[in-house]
Amino acid sequence: MALAVSRKAEAGRFGMLFVIGIYCLMPFVWLLLAAFDPDAGLFIKMPAEVDLSNFYRVFAQEDGFLWLFNSLVVCGGATFLVLVLSGFGGYALSRTRAWWKLPFLYSIILIRVIPPPALIVPLYQVMLAANKGMQTIVRATVPSDHYRETMRIVGFIDGYLGLILLMAALHLPLALWIMKTFFDTVSREYEEAAVMDGATFGQRLRRVLIPLAMPGLAASGLFAFIACWDDFLVPLTFISSPELRMLPLGIYSAFLRDNQIDYGLLAAIAVIYTIPAVAAFVLARRFLVQTFGGGLKG
Amino acid sequence: MARNRYLVLPSVILLTAFVLYPSGVAIYTSLTNLSLTGPAALNPRFIGLGNYARLLHDGSFWHSLVVTFWFVLFSAIIGQLALGLASAVLMRRRFALRPFFNAIILMPNAVPGVVAALMWSSMLASGDYGTLNKIVAWFGVDPQRWLVTFPLSMIIVINIWRGIGFAMILMTSGLSAISDELYEAARMDGATPWQSFRRITLPLLVPTIFLYLLVSTVTTIAIFSLVYALTRGGPAGATEIIGIYVYNQSFDAYRLGYGSAIAVVLLVISLIIGMFYVRALKVEV
Repeated sequence: MALAVSRKAEAGRFGMLFVIGIYCLMPFVWLLLAAFDPDAGLFIKMPAEVDLSNFYRVFAQEDGFLWLFNSLVVCGGATFLVLVLSGFGGYALSRTRAWWKLPFLYSIILIRVIPPPALIVPLYQVMLAANKGMQTIVRATVPSDHYRETMRIVGFIDGYLGLILLMAALHLPLALWIMKTFFDTVSREYEEAAVMDGATFGQRLRRVLIPLAMPGLAASGLFAFIACWDDFLVPLTFISSPELRMLPLGIYSAFLRDNQIDYGLLAAIAVIYTIPAVAAFVLARRFLVQTFGGGLKG
Repeated sequence: MARNRYLVLPSVILLTAFVLYPSGVAIYTSLTNLSLTGPAALNPRFIGLGNYARLLHDGSFWHSLVVTFWFVLFSAIIGQLALGLASAVLMRRRFALRPFFNAIILMPNAVPGVVAALMWSSMLASGDYGTLNKIVAWFGVDPQRWLVTFPLSMIIVINIWRGIGFAMILMTSGLSAISDELYEAARMDGATPWQSFRRITLPLLVPTIFLYLLVSTVTTIAIFSLVYALTRGGPAGATEIIGIYVYNQSFDAYRLGYGSAIAVVLLVISLIIGMFYVRALKVEV
């Protein structure tokens, strides 16, 4: 009797998991089929022939390389900046005893809670002003025939520098929190031993602190990268020139095309855009729960 | 090591420049009639609380608050939590296919918002060949124009889809803290699975659930890309959650001052929830 009940329970359990599984899996089916189908449409169908022509077209006809490159530069740059700042900042927050420390930590959470759409208008004003300042500097220092290229790199609107700084700022609070909690768990004794041995700050940093901090840095870097990679609002608002388009905008513009939408192409870009996100997520998974306590999800 | 604390300065500078100062600018701008074009773009006037007074009578604003409320309630608070908790409970014991289900349920979590919008526009395509229409046809339901007839419900369905995995991970970690012996004892006393869920699992998971709700509420209020890429807030404002309303008012209708006033409301709502979050965490720091 007990066996019969548990078998029924088992079947029920699988049934429920199966339904949830289908719900989660179903939307991926079209994307994968369409990406490899030279004749893809909006509807699910088995490809008559499977090939890589859509991917080829992303790179040959569209600006696939450019979008990928721009995404990597901006998100790579922002992640690097986040790593450096959160590494030093988290260290400081963990090792310091000061009256402002607790209020400061709580403000980090409050900053993290601010929704980016609420900041987008003032950010636009700030970036516009910073861009004007940068234009003046570049005009005064760079020969005029290099003006546009220089602005593309150091500009705040339609420029890498501004995007990197902004993305880093938006994703810094979580990373700071992660690094602070991480350094709390790292014993000071190693550092003290290194100080005793007469190591300079640079040596302590390279030989002791960075190796010890690696797991924390991995977590904060992965979360920063995932968040930046997924971000659509910032590129949408601060990029207007096609040369700086990042992957999400590449998809969006391919989606908005007035004439026939090229779904195979669209699916191929989407697959290219999704792979690094999934890879980073898989790597970040084991940190998800640990960072949940303080940082809010990535 | 006394000067270590200054290592936090670069972070403070960056956050001040790109978060704190802009928040101040948002409050100031919300008190002006700044516009993206026209005379009010060059010489914005200070109009005091004018924008806020107008908000009170703006039906679309109240509508967007209501839409946001339903969106957060049904997707984050009810849907993701229920399905995430169910998945975690169903997968509590080891079985052969567990890693497989685990991976499938987590996958949507990793998909960028714009791609999620694209995948679902195929799922929800109207006509006989739309995937969802094919599925409901097995149950004898006529084809629907999902994004036109049920836009808000569909956005909620998509957002639940994206969040089950995250809820599941957290609930799994909460569950793992509950000892198996409690369940053994309950089974000895003749408790049904449902009874042990009600009497053991739920009460012991309350702290995890509470923290999850705070997190998912603030992250769901901040959602932009998924909804913007799929519907841009339409049709007729049916999916215009407050973040989208801010954007549309500011950059489509060019009313930067007015958009800022809405943004400040959004800011205040988020900060209030954030305060609860800080209080909940006080034990941990």
